[in-house]
Amino acid sequence: MNIQQYEPIVGIPVIGQLRRLGERLKGLRVIHVNSTAEGGGVAEILAWMVPLMNDLGLDAHWRVIAGTNEFFSVTKAIHNGLQGYSVLLKKRDWDVYQDVNRENVTALKDELEEADIVVIHDPQPAPLLELCTRRRGRWIWRCHIDASHPSRSVWKGLKPFVEKYDASIFSMCQFAQMLPHPQYLIAPSIDPLSEKNIDLDDHELDTVRQQFDLNPGVPTLVQISRFDRFKDPVGVIEAYRMVKKMTPVQLVLAGGGASDDPEGKEVLDAVMEAAEGDPDIHVELLPPAAHRTVNALQRIADIVVQKSTREGFGLTVTEGLWKGKPVIGGDAGGIRLQVVDYHTGFLVMTPEGAANRIRFLLHHREQCGKMGKTGRELVREYYLLTRHLREYLTLMYALVGKTTEHTVMV
Amino acid sequence: MNPFEIMDCSLLIRMSGLAPAYNLRELRDRIAVCSPDVLYHHFCETPLSPTFEYPDHRNDFAVWATRRLSDKILAERLGAVDPYACPSMEGLREVVLEVIDERLSEVIMIPWARPGHEFYFMEATTLVFDSGERVRALRELPDAIGRMSNGSIYFHFLEAQRRPPVGMDDFSNWIGGFGKTGAPYVEALRRIDFYFYTLRELRKELVRVLEPLRGKRS
Repeated sequence: MNIQQYEPIVGIPVIGQLRRLGERLKGLRVIHVNSTAEGGGVAEILAWMVPLMNDLGLDAHWRVIAGTNEFFSVTKAIHNGLQGYSVLLKKRDWDVYQDVNRENVTALKDELEEADIVVIHDPQPAPLLELCTRRRGRWIWRCHIDASHPSRSVWKGLKPFVEKYDASIFSMCQFAQMLPHPQYLIAPSIDPLSEKNIDLDDHELDTVRQQFDLNPGVPTLVQISRFDRFKDPVGVIEAYRMVKKMTPVQLVLAGGGASDDPEGKEVLDAVMEAAEGDPDIHVELLPPAAHRTVNALQRIADIVVQKSTREGFGLTVTEGLWKGKPVIGGDAGGIRLQVVDYHTGFLVMTPEGAANRIRFLLHHREQCGKMGKTGRELVREYYLLTRHLREYLTLMYALVGKTTEHTVMV
Repeated sequence: MNPFEIMDCSLLIRMSGLAPAYNLRELRDRIAVCSPDVLYHHFCETPLSPTFEYPDHRNDFAVWATRRLSDKILAERLGAVDPYACPSMEGLREVVLEVIDERLSEVIMIPWARPGHEFYFMEATTLVFDSGERVRALRELPDAIGRMSNGSIYFHFLEAQRRPPVGMDDFSNWIGGFGKTGAPYVEALRRIDFYFYTLRELRKELVRVLEPLRGKRS
């Protein structure tokens, strides 16, 4: 994997800019830490970010902490609490949270303390900072979650672990919390050359249509996401049923389960129950490596749906836009940055709203094409990994130089 | 004549530390005390921010007024404020406060945003670095501009207006050094109404305006 491969997509100036930043950070030792090697947006981001940082001259590494089922239940509860869901965490839960981090630090301590920059992703490994007492580099807490309205008790419990960091990164300004260090805003991105986003030929799309028994003559709605209550898959089925009363349509709800998400099965059961008896609803639990299938389903879609009620950023929206599809998105989180009414799709708040917009688009096909084109260019400019990488490198440069001045000459 | 040094820049956006504004009165109070960098960010750095390219207005305050306060009168007035016409950020602050105060005196109820749509005050660090590339002759300039990153276009054409000589972009400054040969192009650049261009569009326009330079000897 190297940065040059992206030049035909983003252009020479963008690649040149990254190379120049890389030259200035040559040899900088950077370690990213998260809690899952596959499944979910964070692992997907790190899978390209680390090799590309290395290609640009940095010395970047990715470490994954190990955890027990109990630990992941606790961190899922923390995750839900940060997203505003009411959860009760007892002292024992916080003890489990810290104990697992203590067990992990034994293997990681030396390299984390030696690193120039450590980026801790999400709450799971956050206690590592205070366990690395002889750290010499700068530590960043990267929160990928929509923490705009966190449960007060959960934030109160987590805050002591994250406030000691040198900086934090949030995907949007709405997610940032009051912390005693600079809070930077960096939106995530997608990799246009990954299996999930690379161009596919018609033959491959036909194969996936057959695999999922999709009728090529009927408009297809696709929502790709984990089976998570905040993605509102049951609400999507409600919207689909309203549309189907008026016009033929088929729905695909497909997604994987991340290894740190024990709630997935519960939500999947609720979805299966809601979908029962309708052969035009295709609910598919995909393995973590089914990136190409996801890619094909998004390309098969006439409309991509992401009706989340809470959302970190919504990379599935970015993926849908990149494939030139209009997106019906929930009016939440980072979806608001990407979906602009009448330009790239529509923001909705209810199943009724989603149904109305779907019907509008199905009857105005020329609008679909126009929105798809606008969406793809929006992603090319702002939501591809090259912009994301540039902002990380800029942040690292600013942190190493310890500056928050308005203009810094390098 | 010294060669034109192509610089590049990258923006790093962060929270300003100010509490978000939930209504027009709070917006006014925060604007009155925010740092000049906050004003500069919301007025001038928007072309480099990851946001939809064609909003109704070019500054974030006007966009918020129209989308979140549903106050089109205020949005139109704020949208008409030209930051590049103000001698300083303090001058810009005065103009903006005057617009908001006038609107506050007209409305019966203070316009407010629903939860989740507050105005967040941000600022940015601009990291400027030398690209290492040089333009040595006028005829090379159009091609060089065509290859520039958005960061370079922003730095040399928009950010430059803030640096001495204030109100002049770097290209005009350099071309002006060629005397009579450069004079028509300085004038052509001055006429570009750049405020509503995206950086991509601006690059295209610069290349178009400077295209005849390709045939020049100097």
